[in-house]
Amino acid sequence: MSKQKGKITDFVFLMLTALTAFSVIIITFGIFLVLFKESLPAMNKFGFEGFIFSTEWDPVQELFGALPALTGTLITAFLALLLATPIAIGIAIFITEIAPSFLKGIIGTSIELLAAIPSIIYGMWGLFTLAPIMSQHIEPFFQSTIGKIPLIGKLFEGTPLGVDLFTASIILSIMIIPFTASIARDSFNLTPAVLKESAYAMGATKWEVVKDVVMPYSKLGVLGGVGLSLGRALGETMAVAFVLGNLNQIPKSLFEAAATVTVKLANEFTEADKDIYLSSLYYLAFLLFIMSFAILAMAKLFLVKAEKR
Amino acid sequence: MNRKRRKIISSLALFACFLTALWGIFWLFFIIIDVLRHGISAITPSLFLNDPAPPGQEGGGLRNAFVGHFMITICATLIGVPIGVLGGTFLAEYGRKYKISKVISTLADIMVSVPAIIVGAFVYASFVKPLGHFSGWAGGVSLGIIMIPTVLRTTENMLSLIPWTLREAAFALGAPYYKVIIQVVYRGAATGILTGIILAIARVTGEAAPLLFTSFNNAFFSTNMNEPIASLTVTIFQYAMGPYEDWHTQAWGASLMITVFILFATIAGRILIKRRYKD
Repeated sequence: MSKQKGKITDFVFLMLTALTAFSVIIITFGIFLVLFKESLPAMNKFGFEGFIFSTEWDPVQELFGALPALTGTLITAFLALLLATPIAIGIAIFITEIAPSFLKGIIGTSIELLAAIPSIIYGMWGLFTLAPIMSQHIEPFFQSTIGKIPLIGKLFEGTPLGVDLFTASIILSIMIIPFTASIARDSFNLTPAVLKESAYAMGATKWEVVKDVVMPYSKLGVLGGVGLSLGRALGETMAVAFVLGNLNQIPKSLFEAAATVTVKLANEFTEADKDIYLSSLYYLAFLLFIMSFAILAMAKLFLVKAEKR
Repeated sequence: MNRKRRKIISSLALFACFLTALWGIFWLFFIIIDVLRHGISAITPSLFLNDPAPPGQEGGGLRNAFVGHFMITICATLIGVPIGVLGGTFLAEYGRKYKISKVISTLADIMVSVPAIIVGAFVYASFVKPLGHFSGWAGGVSLGIIMIPTVLRTTENMLSLIPWTLREAAFALGAPYYKVIIQVVYRGAATGILTGIILAIARVTGEAAPLLFTSFNNAFFSTNMNEPIASLTVTIFQYAMGPYEDWHTQAWGASLMITVFILFATIAGRILIKRRYKD
């Protein structure tokens, strides 16, 4: 009798856990469906190409286009990636190959604490501390050096205000360093010791072992880490909201204010008084969701493949 | 190539790696010291005890935001933790042999990194709009949704670290599976799960984006979760963007409190897990 009761309770517990586990699927599809449904009016009105290639963002005339926000998102994310990836890989090499064991833990933890600092703190610090430093020292310096070179110099034109693409990308790069670094570190650690030892036995220097043995062996994992960071950078909101200026334009220089999808959402969502305005914002959110989901899924695929080797 | 040159190249490259590590640590200390420097002067009793004063007037505080933030976080924890822990239990125990568990855990891994503001937009459409007003509950739900995948994944990982023989021993005594899970497996993995929960709470405490259009903000003291309710992070955003010096100071104070809480929780979590799994 009590055995029977145990079986029933067990079944109830099984169902309960199964239901909660399935909530992840339900939430994911729920987000997809809700964002899609909410953006339908804007989709019908502007179409796909008409929306993503239009630079118009005029709530009064009810004309909405995504191009400035999309380019802003992509530029800041890729610039952040460009700045963060080499540094993150360097940190991973330092932790796995060079640092004495007592430093490994300290440096590893410090770098990971960078990821624990909330986005809003990065934003506030960026606005009040980093932006003035950028506008007074760093950006004029860039203008007087690299800015003088033809063609590339165009990227550094304009008044250095500190509230611009460049500052936003730097803050983003600091925020994503820990993600790439910790995954790169894990993949470096997966390299079989035998491979490294045989390279040392042939007289390779430490750097040559890292460059020719460790890096090629773990490149899939590192790529996965970079993808994960890209996904994070695309969706970062508050840090960027403080220092990007939310200006609806396609930037011509790094020292110009711009907008990203997330900044637009954060600033305009509660102001959207017309249905088509709100729907257009949802359309932006939908595009961002698809984009970051695809990139994160790809990164995850790389990481699974890297682990399987 | 001669050996000396290769050695020099090696040293230079490794030195560059050392510099990258310094670069990372430099920013961490820069930010922490800066928040400390600006925030410490704002930490006064009135910050915690008073409600906001009209701009320009002395003596306002953020009592409403501290209380509101606490309530939203509790609400999120009550939603995120049970669902996450039970879901993780399914993936590691009952669902081990099914393919769907792999799918769910991969999906959860992806959802951990999905933009938080998207979750906010989702909750706005499914809760705030139908009900017609912002509310503390909606804020709690959005943070809870963000917590679920994190807690679920750590629970799954921690449970799968428990040796299978332990379960077999309990099965041999005739215990049903749910008793084995609750009395043997959970007990073994408790520290790990707790750490996961602490880290997840620390993470959502710093979220602002999903709260912008769920719990919104409230300049007055309120404990009514059916109404818009103030939170520290949204207040920081509003105050820092505002024109008043007084607001900026208070925003720094709130930033300091959040940063200290999160860093403390994160470090505590790490120490806890290191202690448990070292020996």
